[in-house]
Amino acid sequence: MLQQYAIIGIFLLGAVGTAVGSIVVNWLVRPKPEPKGDKRATYECGLETIGPTWVQFKARYFLYALVFLLFDVETIFLYPWAVGFQELGFLAFVEMMIFIGILALGLWYAWKEEGLKWL
Amino acid sequence: MANLYWIPKAWLIPLLPALAFPFIAFITRKARGLSALTAILAIGVSLVISLGVLWEVIAHGITMDNPVEYSTVWLQIPQLLKIEAGLLIDPLSAVMLLVVTLVAFLVEIYSIGYMEDDPGFSVFFAYLSLFGASMLGLVLANNYFMIYFFWELVGLCSYLLIGFWYHRAEAARAGFKAFVVNRLADFGFLLGFFFLFIIFHTFNFRELAAAIPAYHNVGLLTVAALLVFTGPIGKSAQFPLHVWLPDAMEGPTPVSALIHAATMVAAGVYLLARAYVLFASLPNVMLVVAYVGGFTAIFAATIAIAQRDIKRILAYSTISQLGYMVMAMGVGSMTAGIFHLTTHAFFKALLFLAAGSVIHALHEQDIFRMGGLYKDMKVTTVTFIIGALALAGIPPFAGFWSKDEILAAAYHNGFLGLYILGTLVAFLTAFYMFRLIFITFFGERRAGLHGHESPPVMTIPLGILALLSIFAGFVGTPFTARGFSTFVYYAAPHEVEPDYMVMALSTLVALAGIALAWWLYGRPSDLPERLKESYRWAYNLLWNKFYIDEFYLWIYRRIFWGLAEAFHWHDRHVVDGLWDGVGDVTRASGQKLRYLQTGNLQTYALVFFTAVVVIALWMAGMGGMIR
Amino acid sequence: MVNFGLLYMEIATAALGLMLLAWGLLVPKRERQGIAYLTAAGLLALLALAWCTRGAAGTVLPGYTIDLYSIYFKSLFLTAAFLATICSFDYVAKMGFNQGEYYALLVFATLGMMVLATSGELITLYLGLELMAITFYILVAYRLDDPKSAEAGIKYLLLGALSSAILLYGFSLIYGTCGSTVLREIGKRISSGQADFALLLGLIFVIAGFSFKVTAVPFHMWAPDVYEGAPTPITAFLSVGSKAAAFAALIRILFLGFDNQAFLWLPLVTVLSVLSMVLGNLVAIPQKNVKRLLAYSSVAQGGYLLLGIVSASLLGIGAILYYAMIYVFANMGAFMAATAFYNNDRSDEIKDYAGLARRAPLVAAVMLFSVASLAGIPPLAGFPGKLYLFSSVVARDYSYLWLALLGLLMSAVSVYYYLQIVKAMYTGNPAPQKGALQVSRGMEVAMLLVLGILFFLGIYPTPLTNYAFKAGETLFMP
Repeated sequence: MLQQYAIIGIFLLGAVGTAVGSIVVNWLVRPKPEPKGDKRATYECGLETIGPTWVQFKARYFLYALVFLLFDVETIFLYPWAVGFQELGFLAFVEMMIFIGILALGLWYAWKEEGLKWL
Repeated sequence: MANLYWIPKAWLIPLLPALAFPFIAFITRKARGLSALTAILAIGVSLVISLGVLWEVIAHGITMDNPVEYSTVWLQIPQLLKIEAGLLIDPLSAVMLLVVTLVAFLVEIYSIGYMEDDPGFSVFFAYLSLFGASMLGLVLANNYFMIYFFWELVGLCSYLLIGFWYHRAEAARAGFKAFVVNRLADFGFLLGFFFLFIIFHTFNFRELAAAIPAYHNVGLLTVAALLVFTGPIGKSAQFPLHVWLPDAMEGPTPVSALIHAATMVAAGVYLLARAYVLFASLPNVMLVVAYVGGFTAIFAATIAIAQRDIKRILAYSTISQLGYMVMAMGVGSMTAGIFHLTTHAFFKALLFLAAGSVIHALHEQDIFRMGGLYKDMKVTTVTFIIGALALAGIPPFAGFWSKDEILAAAYHNGFLGLYILGTLVAFLTAFYMFRLIFITFFGERRAGLHGHESPPVMTIPLGILALLSIFAGFVGTPFTARGFSTFVYYAAPHEVEPDYMVMALSTLVALAGIALAWWLYGRPSDLPERLKESYRWAYNLLWNKFYIDEFYLWIYRRIFWGLAEAFHWHDRHVVDGLWDGVGDVTRASGQKLRYLQTGNLQTYALVFFTAVVVIALWMAGMGGMIR
Repeated sequence: MVNFGLLYMEIATAALGLMLLAWGLLVPKRERQGIAYLTAAGLLALLALAWCTRGAAGTVLPGYTIDLYSIYFKSLFLTAAFLATICSFDYVAKMGFNQGEYYALLVFATLGMMVLATSGELITLYLGLELMAITFYILVAYRLDDPKSAEAGIKYLLLGALSSAILLYGFSLIYGTCGSTVLREIGKRISSGQADFALLLGLIFVIAGFSFKVTAVPFHMWAPDVYEGAPTPITAFLSVGSKAAAFAALIRILFLGFDNQAFLWLPLVTVLSVLSMVLGNLVAIPQKNVKRLLAYSSVAQGGYLLLGIVSASLLGIGAILYYAMIYVFANMGAFMAATAFYNNDRSDEIKDYAGLARRAPLVAAVMLFSVASLAGIPPLAGFPGKLYLFSSVVARDYSYLWLALLGLLMSAVSVYYYLQIVKAMYTGNPAPQKGALQVSRGMEVAMLLVLGILFFLGIYPTPLTNYAFKAGETLFMP
């Protein structure tokens, strides 16, 4: 049993060693003068960013996303319920109405608190 | 048992004074009259309930063998510890309840007059209420833990009330002394019943009573019993821990009457009665109890002969009488001990209150500065003499019957030496009491002090107590059918046989004592002075109470202080150094450890993960080991 | 057929929360003070309901059983929520917005705790945990005007997510090994004494995840920052409710699911307990801020509670239940006093408490007796609690005596820092311009209630003891 752990241990050492080793080797073989000019520019896409990159997004996006999610989830549950409506019976109907009611309350709340208004 | 009315309400008896205490302390403190009224009302209702309880105990045939017990678990740790809170009502506690509430009630009424001009009037009544509550709780307790709790509480009240006039250095010191001596004894008591708990796993009196006779490790039980007995030695002021009681007279006189004569000091005797199974099963311990009691009785009586302070004489008399009670317990007659406790509570409270009346009038406690008071204070004089006759054991006063029962028990149970000693004490008692009376109330006015009779609020309680001192003994005379001995008893109820020899002898010696007192002090004579001169050494020995206090002081100064110095040095340089070090290290490590808390979120996450990884590795390693 | 009737407590709580939301919409914004009273009344009614139906028992679903254990914890949460609500009256009114949401979230957090404490199945349990956690993320960041509150919210959210991730990973490993998420089923499927590495890892992750919630060292790092930044009533509720709920679930998991793996988790829990007691108490000493001090004290209290798990006995479980309830009152009392002070002086610094005893005797007394109870000084309720906890450890095995002694020693240390507050309150001089504290009537009543309970249960703990031990017993019933 201990030997099995030893294997894991060797594996761990190997994994860590590879990762650390590659960084160390990189650091050793890199050109020593500090990089400058184009070398420090962002290189993924062609365009330079305009202004600071840490801009604040409008929180409204998230509110919309949340309200959207509300309907999304509702739909996901409504479909199977509608398909099996005949077999599920009255209790399922009541349950679904409660579910829709709670969701509707959420929508009402978002509406009333002016969550749907774009400011 | 279905139609009991009063007994189920017994829990109210200690509760009412207990409620009166905070009520007075916080609400009516400024209103003196209201404070007194609250206290008296509370103890008065308790008195009524106690009467009801006693009546029902008699009427419903509740005996020592089938008491009523109410109990609830107070604190429980399964399998380890169970502490109950409960009431045990049997004839013993019923009698005690009545004695305590009655005396407390009368003393509180008396205190209205006695404490009239005191600025601490309300506080005094608050303390008295607290004392009443604690004492009644002690009486009703159904287990050792609870009795110990109240035992400490009455001790605390006693401390507070002895030092009530705390601005007087003497009073403060006396309170401190009482506290320290009692703590010493209480510690033994605590150890004792913890021993019992370790052996039997219960604190409950009845469960212990059932278990003790079947237990055979006599050695261990003897240790436990002796330790328990240290409690009464301290609280009931038995030799050698009697030294606190005379000093306790520094407290106000009603306190001396209630706490240091009638009730609290009798708690030790009560505890012996409660724990009687334990003692009765150990003849050797009984012997110790009997001789400690007997020695205390004669020892204190001899000291009383030479004292000059009216309250101190009564205090030594109390110690002596408590010795009688403890001796009664030791010679195997619990009935006689409790009977004497009851009658003594009445006549000693009476004596103290009457002495208080004198002090109230003269502001003087030295009897040789008094004299001829009977002209000014008729009621006080008469009641004091009644009390003294009861104490001296002159028939048909209460003290005669109870003291006689103790002497008869000693005689019939084969303690001839203790019987003779007891009879001698009876002689001494009669002598020092009437010495006190002849000097104080008769003869000429020595220091030109004029008395005046106290107000009715003080004399009426005196009258009631005087009646009780005359008649209370009749419940237990050998001629009373189904008397006290068939009510409060150990093992089996029994009728007391009249022993005319014992009766006659004790009466004769008492009369002889009175006669001697009259011969020496009742007529103008220089005989006492001449005796004092020719037996100087004996007088000094008695006057200085056998130098016991000095002896303790010497021990305290030489040995304890020496030890204390050594300990002090040790504490300073070793323990303190150590603890200071610990404290410094603790504080410093707190300071250091707080830097772990950087406020940096990434650090927190890192710590979290590192911890998980470390634990995983550790557990994996441990898992490997276990396999 | 699922017996929905047994879910009455959860349904009623959810209904109360939804009702509060709807109520908030119906009344005009200015007149929403009433919502606070409605919440308090509703919670009190639920508490009464829980007490009246404490005999209810039954299984809703295989992993969701109503028993006295769950009802005890529900009462505990409701009590805490009730006191937190009363504590919030002035505090929230002064913040001046969205009161309806605040109280509704409080109720939903309570619902989450209830589910967490009742569930005997990992997924439902997780649902409850997240409901509780997410509402708390919002509540912690509720003081929009205060950057500290926002910081606390973000920290709590991120670290909470981290702990949830670990916890879920643990759950998945357990499910993967045992093939069931129902705790009793897991308990049956693990053959005794045999440990599987994946299962062990899962167990470690689960304990780590819950240690985060109970603020056991070294998973406590979030607590001081979050406690300091959050609105004070929320701090109070977080420190008692969330902790108790996590304990309820952890006890269930360990004793129902992993009882025969005790040889593995016992050492781990012991170490966590020791670290929490030592570190929590030591680091509390140099604190200058009342809320931070109470945060570290709460870490230490978590350590004491873990002792009950170490004892692995009915006595220990009962002790945890008892102590958790006492902890609600003592901690809530301390935070109530802190809230009352903050409402007036806008400060949580210990040095500003100087002379509080003269400015507000009741507030100072509540603080005094609450911290005295936390320290375990008789005759306050904390004393029997600690007595039970410590003796449960000793009763397990005398070789654990050192652990009880360590707890005792650390309790002694705790007296030192608690006394710092007391010293400031009773010996310091108040700044001359400071007058008497304005405390609302509701708060005063709640404070007196807390004081009364702390004393009553300190002098006569048996009623609660019996209840707690009976509740603990039901956990072990098949």
